[in-house]
Amino acid sequence: MLSTRDLVAGYDERTVLDGLDLDLPTDAFTVIVGPNACGKSTLLRTMARLLTPRRGTVLLDGTAIRDLPTREVARRLGVLPQSPLVPEGVTVADLVGRGRQPYQRWWRQWSSEDGAAVDQAMALADVTDLADRPVDSLSGGQRQRVWIAMTLAQDTDALLLDEPTTFLDLAHQVEVLDLLHRLRSERGRTVVAVLHDLNQAARYADHLVAMRAGAVVAAGPPREILTADLVRDVFGLACVVVPCPVTGAPLVVPAYTGGNAPAPAAASGGPVASPGGAGDPAAASAGAGDAVAASAGVKDPDSSTASVPDARPATGDAANPLAGSHPSKGL
Amino acid sequence: MTTTRRSSGPADPPSPAGSAGLSTVVSAGSPGGDGARLAGRSLLRVGPVSLLIRRRAVLVAAVLTVLLLLAVVLSLSLGTPYVAPADVLRALSGAGTPYDLVVFDLRLPRVVLAAVAGAAFGVAGTLIQSVARNPLASPDVIGITQGAGLAATVALTSGMAAVLVAPTALVGGLLAAVLLFALGARHGLAAQRFVLAGVAVAFGFRALTEVVMLTADPIDGLRAQIWLIGTLAGKGWTEAAWIAGTLLVLLPVLAWAGWALNSSALDDDTARGVGLRPVARRIGLAGTGVLVAAMVTAQVGAVDFVALVAPQVARRLVRAERPPLVCAALLGALLLVLADLAGRRLFAPTQLPAGVLTAAIGGPYLIFLLLRGRRRSS
Repeated sequence: MLSTRDLVAGYDERTVLDGLDLDLPTDAFTVIVGPNACGKSTLLRTMARLLTPRRGTVLLDGTAIRDLPTREVARRLGVLPQSPLVPEGVTVADLVGRGRQPYQRWWRQWSSEDGAAVDQAMALADVTDLADRPVDSLSGGQRQRVWIAMTLAQDTDALLLDEPTTFLDLAHQVEVLDLLHRLRSERGRTVVAVLHDLNQAARYADHLVAMRAGAVVAAGPPREILTADLVRDVFGLACVVVPCPVTGAPLVVPAYTGGNAPAPAAASGGPVASPGGAGDPAAASAGAGDAVAASAGVKDPDSSTASVPDARPATGDAANPLAGSHPSKGL
Repeated sequence: MTTTRRSSGPADPPSPAGSAGLSTVVSAGSPGGDGARLAGRSLLRVGPVSLLIRRRAVLVAAVLTVLLLLAVVLSLSLGTPYVAPADVLRALSGAGTPYDLVVFDLRLPRVVLAAVAGAAFGVAGTLIQSVARNPLASPDVIGITQGAGLAATVALTSGMAAVLVAPTALVGGLLAAVLLFALGARHGLAAQRFVLAGVAVAFGFRALTEVVMLTADPIDGLRAQIWLIGTLAGKGWTEAAWIAGTLLVLLPVLAWAGWALNSSALDDDTARGVGLRPVARRIGLAGTGVLVAAMVTAQVGAVDFVALVAPQVARRLVRAERPPLVCAALLGALLLVLADLAGRRLFAPTQLPAGVLTAAIGGPYLIFLLLRGRRRSS
């Protein structure tokens, strides 16, 4: 539904994207990852027509987005910018209601459809109980859900989010990502998000887009494309990729480069690799596998991929007990 | 909500009362109903038109209107000769009293001018503050007043005909606005740049005004000085008609502005996301505000603080997150009528220009605002 053709975009003198062609799948949760300044936010902002491209086009369902009236785009494409400014003294219900702007005119300021959409959006984002609270009195996690509710009230097929989990603690990050996942799986929305955390991207994305220096390095399902080679190509970081003990999705663990030294023996590896997991045999064995793989990766980055198969059986066996003892937040 | 897309047409479900003229839907306050969504607001439906009205704003506007009428009667009544309020009312009703000359010819034009000019200052201040996202922004902060002031000073010290002073001042104010937009436009009239450009324009024009005044004949300089403070003395219907005419012509724009102001608190990316064009919107709001400010300043001079104070006080009275347009206009009118009355009576027979009194009221309020700390902006 969203595509770019020969897209060139940037800020002032700096060209960030240079001739980008990209097609994002419909009804999927697409996550864009890449190092800082790789152009992932620029790409999202350009696709959301927050930034005007210097050349090339963004296509929304085959039509150039700049040829569409901005109000119409706003009925088909919701955008949550990175850290939006919180208006002072505005209540949650009021802010969520601003999402109805594309359906309103100054002579038609509210309809029963607006009311129904706002109610649904607040229920979906679980902010109904906060309806009468001023947004600036809420915590970061609550605020982010309110902003998402505002874009949901727009009632669009697609939703673009620029780093929606930044500045949130881990539990709130998972909460927001779970919400986005539900939007895709239960509501059939197309969700596109820029995320910093590779492991979260791998866990939630149906479609992963890895960018470096303004170009797409790889795109596809994370289980197919997220390898240690890709992470080294994109981020310049040596790592091992093991299956996540909870979901089986690729889990990126940086190779040892510094910090607390890896324990020499596998028996004592548990406490270092996964603090507090000493009493849990599953965690201890998973940690040991990582430690071995990581130390191998230090000497020769290329061998880190080779060590993945060694690590896989250990963590694979550990997956089920861990998943049982740490529901959703045990990422 | 999941699959069906909505048309942009007026898609309200056919409500029996909806087409039958005026029907007001007052929110009932049930948890899932309109009460939760439209906290403190009512929906006013007239045919295809539906307007969200803050109930508290209606109350404040009603109280302000009553106070304004009282102030007008008081202003028509006090003075030499004193006219009892009952006689004022009788004269206004056209009954024919011995006070008709005093009420109609001497006092009413000036009181009406004060009300109209005050309302215009309130409107201009509301628009400019919302674009600047800064409660301290007003026409005299962003240079409109100084532009008009420089032009008026040139006119008054160069022996220009008296009738040409106001048009010249208007041109000066508009030129300052053009300069302001040219300087502020590069980044889409962003709040901070808008204010900074305005302050620069204001300082430039003020310096030039001083130069003109110091090189002029002292008596002309004094006249310019009084103009710069702002006075309603010797002014009346003509000036009021110009200001009221401007407001009337801009009425459709102001109706739009009252709605557009709602989203002025959203940052540009968020605003674009919900289908707004923030730059065009800012230019529209600021342009309207600047036009009103230039016109009213040209007619009554640089009356300070009304444009600054009225929107902020109105905002606090209504307890809204942004200045309400109508209440700010009413409050501006009330302020200027009272300031003009006080200027006439406090040290009678010496008359003080209204601008001195508004500054006397506005100064302490400005300090109060500063002590409360500048609100988060841009």
